[in-house]
Amino acid sequence: MRKFINSEAMQHSMKLLQLGAKVQQIDSKMCYVEFCIDGCKLEYVYNINSKGQYFLERIKPYPLPLKVFTLEKDVIESITIDMKQFKDAIKSNNISGFLEIGVKLNIVLKKFEDLFLYYNIPKTEVDEIASVITTLENKIDKVQNKSKRICFFKEPENLRVDKK
Amino acid sequence: MVKIQESQVIITVSIFIATYGIIISEKIERTTIAMVGAVFMLLLNILSQEDAIKHIDFNTIGLLIGMMIIVGITKRTGVFEYLAIKSAKAAKGEPWKIIVFFSIITAISSALLDNVTTILLIVPVTLVIVDTLQMNPIVFLIPEVLMANIGGTATLIGDPPNIMIGSASNLGFVDFLVNLGPVVIIIFIVTLLILKIIYRNDFNATEEAKAKILNMNEKIAIKNKPLLIKSGAILFLVILGFSLHQKLGYESATIALTGAAILLLISKIEPEGILLEIEWGTIFFFMALFVLVGSLEEVGIINELAKKLLAITKGNLFITTMVILWVSAIASAFLDNIPFVATMIPLVKGIGAMSTMSIVPLWWALALGACLGGNGSIVGATANVVVSGILEKHGNKISFVEYLKIGFPMMIVSIIIASIYLKTFYL
Repeated sequence: MRKFINSEAMQHSMKLLQLGAKVQQIDSKMCYVEFCIDGCKLEYVYNINSKGQYFLERIKPYPLPLKVFTLEKDVIESITIDMKQFKDAIKSNNISGFLEIGVKLNIVLKKFEDLFLYYNIPKTEVDEIASVITTLENKIDKVQNKSKRICFFKEPENLRVDKK
Repeated sequence: MVKIQESQVIITVSIFIATYGIIISEKIERTTIAMVGAVFMLLLNILSQEDAIKHIDFNTIGLLIGMMIIVGITKRTGVFEYLAIKSAKAAKGEPWKIIVFFSIITAISSALLDNVTTILLIVPVTLVIVDTLQMNPIVFLIPEVLMANIGGTATLIGDPPNIMIGSASNLGFVDFLVNLGPVVIIIFIVTLLILKIIYRNDFNATEEAKAKILNMNEKIAIKNKPLLIKSGAILFLVILGFSLHQKLGYESATIALTGAAILLLISKIEPEGILLEIEWGTIFFFMALFVLVGSLEEVGIINELAKKLLAITKGNLFITTMVILWVSAIASAFLDNIPFVATMIPLVKGIGAMSTMSIVPLWWALALGACLGGNGSIVGATANVVVSGILEKHGNKISFVEYLKIGFPMMIVSIIIASIYLKTFYL
């Protein structure tokens, strides 16, 4: 198997170099992590490399972008917290709606990327999309303010929390 | 006492046949089953552990490991990518010319490196060129695999069977090059001409694709120039060392391991990563085979086989040489040539001990048969299997029959040329 991996790596490196890239190939191990919480699949993938970096990504129930860690314990801690949060969230009556929105947001992001890469969009339309996003952000903040917080073992990374 | 010996013979032969049978069937990975067979020989007291270790040819093992380390470091320089782009540009993107250049690179590399290693270095870069030309990779890779096996035949270090033969016969690097080099050059040229006829309708590439080849930059393929200089110098010194090893009084493994150790030292590359590149599966396969064949020797089977072969050929050197050449070629076309040669080596030695004939032509016949025979089918040599696997992953599966139609007649042609060569110069 190693023979085929090396053969593939050599081809990729040669093609990418010809495209003008700087290519570094680092030996690593890919780890797939799977939890099944009350029928809901939670999957992660992370990569341990010889340079001491850990690349972690959630792939299910909806993908969450890459995080880079330098300590092994941070990777495990990040997965543990994520898993605990999902465990709590899954008890909510709104879980299916929440997951559906998560998947939809990812699709919207991909569609927006296609729109940007494949079409020349008039500025007015870009402004309109930005305004819709701001409305959505404001809605999330509003919902946050009038909802009861249930998870306290870690502060949210993206929502602002007012210290009382 | 006699009964015990008979039972030992039966047990040994049974383990040997079962192990080789499973290796051929490919039901279990070859290293695993060879190790199981070898361990059974120990557990059933056919061989003591001490005797088993004595049967392992550490010259072969050391030579393989030493060369794998040198290649593992050299390939990091990007020299193969450089050579591929440079020659494709020199050929102006013309497919047939590229095939000729790549065949020459493959044959020479295979003569100096193990042919599986050569294939693993040349095939990926070929696929990039083929993708750029938007052509069928089979047209390029079949010549390469044939040339890897042909080129590897020319030297002591080119193919594992030759490493084993050299170690067992005390024939050196120069002996192999002088005796097998000329016939290998003839076979190379004839094979190339036949391939040109076979693939005459497949050398079509668009002008746009050729232009893409000419736009490639070979200079950026070199990833580490200082390392390239160091690796090139060590490789040159190692080849020089092989040429002189008999005069210097060193085994070939000593030369290879010295080169490997110096290159590790001066390249300052972390050894762990390089040692991971060594094909440990192949190394353990060799060691297990030496134990299996050693068991056959211990119970006297090999001597019996040698006697029977001499009785059939009536001690005639010409007939014995031809039998070894053709049987080795046909067997190696369908079986792994490493276990085959491992078994044949003590047999040839036995013939030498029992008769007055010079066995040197027999060693050349064995080397030519076992190495060239590998071209006969897709399973005939590890290099073929590797190429077939890479092609399949690339979406271009080559069937057993599809390869056989080209490989087997090519192999027969090469063995006919080898027969004429041996008859003319040695018999």
